[in-house]
Amino acid sequence: MATRAFQRLPTAPAGRILALRLVAIAVSLCIIAGVLALSGHSPAMLAELILRSTLGSRFGLEDLMLFMCPLLLTGAAVTVCGTIGLWNIGAEGQFYAGAIAATGVALGLHGPVLVVLPLMTIAGILGGMAWITVPTLARAYAGVNEIITTLLLNFIASLLTYYLTTGPWRDRISGAQVSTQRLSVSMPEMWGIVHWGFPVAIMIVVGLALVLSRTRWGYEIRMGGANPEAARYAGIPVRLRIISVMLLSGGLAGLAGMFEVAGTVHRLQGGMANNFGYLGIVVAVLARGSCLNVIPAALLMALILDSGIVMQTQQLSASVILAITGLILFMIAIGDELAHYRPVATTPAKGKA
Amino acid sequence: MTVSGSRGRLLTTRREMLGLAGGAGSSLLLPRHARAQAQPAWRRPLAESDAIVAFGHTGPITDGGWSMVHDRGVQAVRRTFPKLRTIYVESVPYSADATRLFRQFVAEGAQMVMATSEYGDFIKDVSDRAPDVAFMECDGTNVTGNLGWYYVAHWYASYIIGIVAALMTKTNKIGFLGAFPIPSVYASANATLLGAQSVNPAITLQSITINAWFDPQAATQAATALADNGCDFLCGIMDEPAYLRVALQRGLKAAMWNTGMLDYGPQAYVSSVCLDFNDYYISQVRNLLAGTWQPEGHFLTLGHGVDRDAWGPTVPPEAAARADDMRTRMLAGHNPFVGPIYDNHGRLRVPAGTALSDLEIYHSDWAVAGVSGLE
Repeated sequence: MATRAFQRLPTAPAGRILALRLVAIAVSLCIIAGVLALSGHSPAMLAELILRSTLGSRFGLEDLMLFMCPLLLTGAAVTVCGTIGLWNIGAEGQFYAGAIAATGVALGLHGPVLVVLPLMTIAGILGGMAWITVPTLARAYAGVNEIITTLLLNFIASLLTYYLTTGPWRDRISGAQVSTQRLSVSMPEMWGIVHWGFPVAIMIVVGLALVLSRTRWGYEIRMGGANPEAARYAGIPVRLRIISVMLLSGGLAGLAGMFEVAGTVHRLQGGMANNFGYLGIVVAVLARGSCLNVIPAALLMALILDSGIVMQTQQLSASVILAITGLILFMIAIGDELAHYRPVATTPAKGKA
Repeated sequence: MTVSGSRGRLLTTRREMLGLAGGAGSSLLLPRHARAQAQPAWRRPLAESDAIVAFGHTGPITDGGWSMVHDRGVQAVRRTFPKLRTIYVESVPYSADATRLFRQFVAEGAQMVMATSEYGDFIKDVSDRAPDVAFMECDGTNVTGNLGWYYVAHWYASYIIGIVAALMTKTNKIGFLGAFPIPSVYASANATLLGAQSVNPAITLQSITINAWFDPQAATQAATALADNGCDFLCGIMDEPAYLRVALQRGLKAAMWNTGMLDYGPQAYVSSVCLDFNDYYISQVRNLLAGTWQPEGHFLTLGHGVDRDAWGPTVPPEAAARADDMRTRMLAGHNPFVGPIYDNHGRLRVPAGTALSDLEIYHSDWAVAGVSGLE
């Protein structure tokens, strides 16, 4: 008699993953709705309000795009690093470094926007790259685990930002706390409060996907990630590729910081990274190593974050929101794992009981 | 988190909620010129049952300090206007998330948004795009067509407490805890030290800024460092009472901020700069409902929203009497912040014969001579 069993496969088809993720989200939403109903909230009304305040109104869409902009870039930063098998946990620090460098340019240079803004962009990218340089070289030449080095530099970057914004660069015009003065140049707005950084970030993500899948460099990166020994044997300069990918990753996160300074916050501020660097890791995990998937992953993350804000105004506390976010991501992780299993019909082999 | 009041009946019917969201969309979607011509909603009288007032707090309302005091104000508004809806959000981050929250308040139909801490551009950017909504920012600086600020003139109470500090310290060193080097912290440290120096010019004040308003662990560490450095009187601006416990353990004296904290450590407790926003919030909401609200800057003055707490049991009666004498004179209009006042780089900031106005103190960005740890 045939019995049903499940077999774990090393890869899972994208369709199955998508389907199981939708199931996972549906299950977690049911759990959340149940808990909310038990605590005296109306899940239906909350759901409707959330949909209206995010996808269902122009104001909500603007907020979503503004949320997505840094998430796209930090998500891409972690994803490209992951392609060669490395974890950049330091997007938060590189974000700050990019923001600091861009602010330095804006504070020090006074000129037309068309000159200052591109210089800020370059400075932001270089700032992010500079922040990942030491972990990069340590990884490439000494084999030092990049997870630890990039992570620890986050705290230094954050404290450096606090130092600058409460010390030498502090706002002496309006006395705003932990801030530089408002920068004289800003990213032009495209649609409501959405600045041009958003389409640029989308283009960068799409461009990266093309580079990784269509160019020789991208192939070598993927090779290096899949099997470093084989890549080396095939003559790929893995060390150089590690250096270039990590610098690119830092540059992307730095650019996210520059966009946030120039487009959204308009000042350098302590705490301004808003965990976008760490959330970039979540986005990259959701994207499962594909740059194109970073776009829907960033959208999902932005939706979750934005829904959290809507729910807070409905008197749900920030801790509840955090728990809800965790539950959704936890369920998605289970869904991803389940997608690797395939039902197989097994018949007992002849000669055995 | 349980709070009595309008939670749960915030959006009572489905239709009502759709109305709110729809109204939100339109106010943000209207072209700028059309919005400029229309008269702002807050210039017209408003029925209590139609009004929504939203509060954004910087910390948790259970912080035992700043946000708790503001939440008392929210509760007072709820008691006074039972049909009015109030929304509040705790722990609003000082980041672009604050902008998102304030925008969401607008989207949900709030006619008045109160930020109970400084949010600078994060609130101004929202108010500029929502001229139909009245905005107020505690410790703000901007006054626009629909945004005003309010704050407590706490420096008078700090000065009074400084007098007692001078009469109680044995090491002549006052320890001060602040979050960031910003005007309110300068004003508090300066006033405390000027009050102390009015008794004993040899007294100095050592300050530590811990980069957070609410971080009991960092405050404890900083207070311990100040005690190690010989400070035997602690004071400061923190949203919670952690450093009082340090004072208690180390046998020091401490003056607090926000609210009376005698119960946390009676042996160490001297007094507190007590804040009360209840009447102010009620008056603002009353003005909103009457259609008479105006965007302006407003100080809550000594005896009207800010005062020293009753003196702790270990304060010598003669010290209390001397400080209260100054308090009586202040209540009659006396300004003790008169020159000559030098800053801690030796520069003459206030010449003899001139006095600092409340607005000047509110914008302080320098520390008086004798302050260390604040540039």
